[in-house]
Amino acid sequence: MAMASQPAGKEAVARATAAVSAGIKACGAYNRPDLAKRLERAAASLAEPSVPVVVVGEFKQGKSSLVNALLGANICPVDDDVATAIPTSVAYGEQQRAELVLEGDPPVREPIELSDVRRWVVESDPVTAAVEPEPVNADRGRPVGVEVTLPRKLLSGGLTLVDTPGVGGLGSAHAAASLAAASMADALVFVTDASQELTRSELDFLIKARNLCSAVVCVLTKTDFYPRWRTIAELNAKHLRELGEPPIIPVSSTLRSQAAATGDTALNTESGFPELVTFLSAQVGGGAARRRAATAAGEVATACTQIEAQFEAERAALDDPEQAKRVVAELTEAKERAAALKSTAAKWSQTLTDGAADLTSDIEHDLRGRIRGVLQEASDAIEESDPADTWHEMESWLEARVAHELIENYTMLRDRAIELSERVGEHFREASGGVLDAIAVRNPEPMLAGAKIDHKIELERMKVGKQAMVALKSAYGGAIMFVMLGTLTGVSLGPIALGIGLVMGRKGLRDEKQRQRSARQSQAKNAVRRYCDEVSFVAQKDSRDTMRAIQRQLRDYYTGLAEEFNTSNAEALQRATEAAARTKSERAKRLADIDAEMDRLKQLREHAMAVTS
Amino acid sequence: MTSLLDDTRAALDRAIDVYRGTEDGDRLGHVRARLDEPLRVAVAGRIKAGKSTLLNALVGERLAPTDAGECTRIVTWYADGHTYRVEAELTDGDARQLSFTRDEGVIDVDLGGLPPEKVTRLLVTWPSARLRTATLIDTPGIGSLSESVAQRTWDLLSASGEDAADAPADAVLYLLRHLHSHDLEFLRAFHDTEVSHPNPVNAIGVLSRADEIGVGRLDSMTSASKIAARMASDPTVRTVVQTVVPVAGLLAETAATLTEAEVARLRRIAELPVADADALLLTADRFVDRMPELGVTSTEREELLDRFGLFGIRLATSVLRHRVASTATELATVLTERSGIGELNQLLRSLFFDRRDVLKSRSALAALDALTRAAPRPGSEAVAADVERIMASAHPFQELRVLSAIRAGWVTGKPAVLDDLEHVIGGTGADIGQRLRLADDDSHDARVAAASAALDRWQRRAENPLTKHELAVAARVAIRSCEGMLTELRRTS
Repeated sequence: MAMASQPAGKEAVARATAAVSAGIKACGAYNRPDLAKRLERAAASLAEPSVPVVVVGEFKQGKSSLVNALLGANICPVDDDVATAIPTSVAYGEQQRAELVLEGDPPVREPIELSDVRRWVVESDPVTAAVEPEPVNADRGRPVGVEVTLPRKLLSGGLTLVDTPGVGGLGSAHAAASLAAASMADALVFVTDASQELTRSELDFLIKARNLCSAVVCVLTKTDFYPRWRTIAELNAKHLRELGEPPIIPVSSTLRSQAAATGDTALNTESGFPELVTFLSAQVGGGAARRRAATAAGEVATACTQIEAQFEAERAALDDPEQAKRVVAELTEAKERAAALKSTAAKWSQTLTDGAADLTSDIEHDLRGRIRGVLQEASDAIEESDPADTWHEMESWLEARVAHELIENYTMLRDRAIELSERVGEHFREASGGVLDAIAVRNPEPMLAGAKIDHKIELERMKVGKQAMVALKSAYGGAIMFVMLGTLTGVSLGPIALGIGLVMGRKGLRDEKQRQRSARQSQAKNAVRRYCDEVSFVAQKDSRDTMRAIQRQLRDYYTGLAEEFNTSNAEALQRATEAAARTKSERAKRLADIDAEMDRLKQLREHAMAVTS
Repeated sequence: MTSLLDDTRAALDRAIDVYRGTEDGDRLGHVRARLDEPLRVAVAGRIKAGKSTLLNALVGERLAPTDAGECTRIVTWYADGHTYRVEAELTDGDARQLSFTRDEGVIDVDLGGLPPEKVTRLLVTWPSARLRTATLIDTPGIGSLSESVAQRTWDLLSASGEDAADAPADAVLYLLRHLHSHDLEFLRAFHDTEVSHPNPVNAIGVLSRADEIGVGRLDSMTSASKIAARMASDPTVRTVVQTVVPVAGLLAETAATLTEAEVARLRRIAELPVADADALLLTADRFVDRMPELGVTSTEREELLDRFGLFGIRLATSVLRHRVASTATELATVLTERSGIGELNQLLRSLFFDRRDVLKSRSALAALDALTRAAPRPGSEAVAADVERIMASAHPFQELRVLSAIRAGWVTGKPAVLDDLEHVIGGTGADIGQRLRLADDDSHDARVAAASAALDRWQRRAENPLTKHELAVAARVAIRSCEGMLTELRRTS
């Protein structure tokens, strides 16, 4: 059954591609370059799909081995000791290539040798670092990720596998960054090895991830080595029961690599990887493909509706000269409404402007509240302990704590932005529905009885909050993970002067210790405050920029639509006016033409509608 | 000169007088009695770190139950005694003797209907020479999915607040699988901050399940040693444990209890052609299912897997094939050596057992200190003053303080000088040979000469005006250590 849905995904894309290219031709034929341009964008997103899949897990669970074994390539460095330090993303490309992503705005990309990936990706290794000092270049930013392309069938559907650093406990900043990445990804592959059942922190992470990412799969690695892996799988299944029972796929990367080396298919089956491959290509890739196809088909149908509307107006005018006057009058009225739709005074535009402003201030307020909470907790903690003993933990605790508040804040931004986008869409639809209705509605012909309902359907499709997601994704580029990490770790707490003397002697030992301790405590509090200020500053700028990007995206999108409606309306008006002036015989001939055109459009629309069925 | 233990005992006696008739007085009685008991060593770590397995390996018997899932849910003490018995201490303060059976050596305790959450701890009394030197405490893992289980270990090890007087462990073996932020937090909790700062003095890090690091490759232990060495040189780790050693607990446990029957089964595999053996041992599943003609049933194979792990079987068969060992005794010796348990035992001796008096006094004084603060009474100021005097003046404590100061990075200097300092003050072992880095067969004269040289060296460093203040303070402690060694050498000559 799962197998059946893979061709469906591919087929849907193929059908959608055909429908889109037919749509582009039609737009050309009907002289609507504006609509054609939109369909061209849809065609581009069909041709170059991106389906990010994030591979996450604790340290040393075999994430990199898994990615290597999955792709049958030695891309991600595997080592007993040193761990992956920056994420590597692997996507489809006709040629093997690797690029280093450097911190910057926008991030800078620099080609590197595939064999050099290891050097950049692993934690700095004291041994190799001593022999081969990292090339330092002051002009360049910090490396934040590596992007690799490989000619692999599995990836051809747009799958992009992202191997991430170990999350190092749910509390870490890395975990927060992984969650951020998961929120942008189409699927999350959670890696845990068969040496033990899921731990508290792993489960906590999964619960959070589950809320941010729709498709989660739990991969149980190293089944070749642990005889009791079946017991562990059962225990894990029990733990995951409350999480909507994400699938657990037991695999052995060792077996898969050996199978690839010897071409032994039975061994490959035994490795458990075929199931994972099916899950990724059918469930994840297929699902994403179907969604993409549906979106593109929706665009085609919208274009059809607009062109049809023009013909319908003309047809109504031709059909009955009495009617013609009314149609012209209505369209003239609609013209104003259409014009209003693209003006800043339109309700949707107001909603957007006000909503974005409210959202920005709410987000900032929320962040301030959160940071204040952290500060309070930190001061309490410092008050209770001696920074000389606890500063190290304090540092990682604070970073992780702040990272998680930022993630919560970001999640709020995301959810609220989607909500706003829906509201704007709603308002746009209310207003524009009137316009489209005015263009097309008065048609008595039973053939077009379905058309009115159709308008609703297509517009319904545009509603989905995805415009906000498009904006979010583009705001962070393809490198969301990298950027988030940069924000989170770019600010450092720095050392505090501990001011410790080694105290010996019988008298005043405790007093002296107490005095030093107080001095350290106040220093520590200052350092924490500075850190929080700095983080708030960076995060605030970040969320403002993001919000601006979202606002721009929504505005451009709906303004574009409004422009199209204007053009449609103007065209319809012109045709209706012309129709009124035609002779009777001309009319009959034109009516036949229009029927033929509408028939073609109907077919195209049906084609588009059938894409995902 | 009175010994540290005598001073501590005197302070406790005075405190018992002050607190006589109160509940605290009884508790102090226990603390005093504890001074003469074996050292208490807790085996702690995250869930599934292999704590019970290591404990079994240390005792040399399969006592603590081990399983693939989470297993130890109740803090269990293993102490030497005259009879075999198991006692449950309940949350309401009662104690109850429990019946138990042994399943292939493993103690299976029948809680007799007691809900586990009502049981504070199980006390297993077991006549065993190994338990005579140290009482071992098995703990539930941190990071357990059931919060109450993990909380037990926190309660046990974090000597904070009112429980400080009852901090049950004198020293801890902390099992790390891979360095993990939780691990460090946990370690810190164990170290009380009063005797001195967080102190690596009573903790050894064990990189456990070391055989799994290379996922079963034969060179796994080499890899594990490298990782352990890296961890031990990490400044953050150094502030909390003295050092880190790799141990393949399962291998050590099995080696200590190896049977001829098991060796006979392993031999069959070792006699296979290498390619066939490799194919059979490719995965655990294959090992159980393939080659039914081998003459070892699949149940027996599953047992072998439980006892050795895939790595252990690979290692043992390769040892047998190359005739490095042929009998159970010989194989046990090789496996023990490869498991790293020997090195751990040696560390336990030099870092814990040789320092027994210091560690014992330290626990007792910490308890006393906490009590005088939490429950002041007429006369308790004098007790508190006693405690402070002993802590500040007793030379062993000064040594410990210098050690933790080095580890915390407060005493700075050339690495070689700091290394020398750590040795001289007994940071790597309290024995004179270890302090002076001498070989066992060095003559008495050589020892005296080395001690005098060290004394000279540290006197010069202490007096050098260019020596930083902290190092100079530490140097004066080192001088006393050297003088102590010379005194002892003269006495034994």
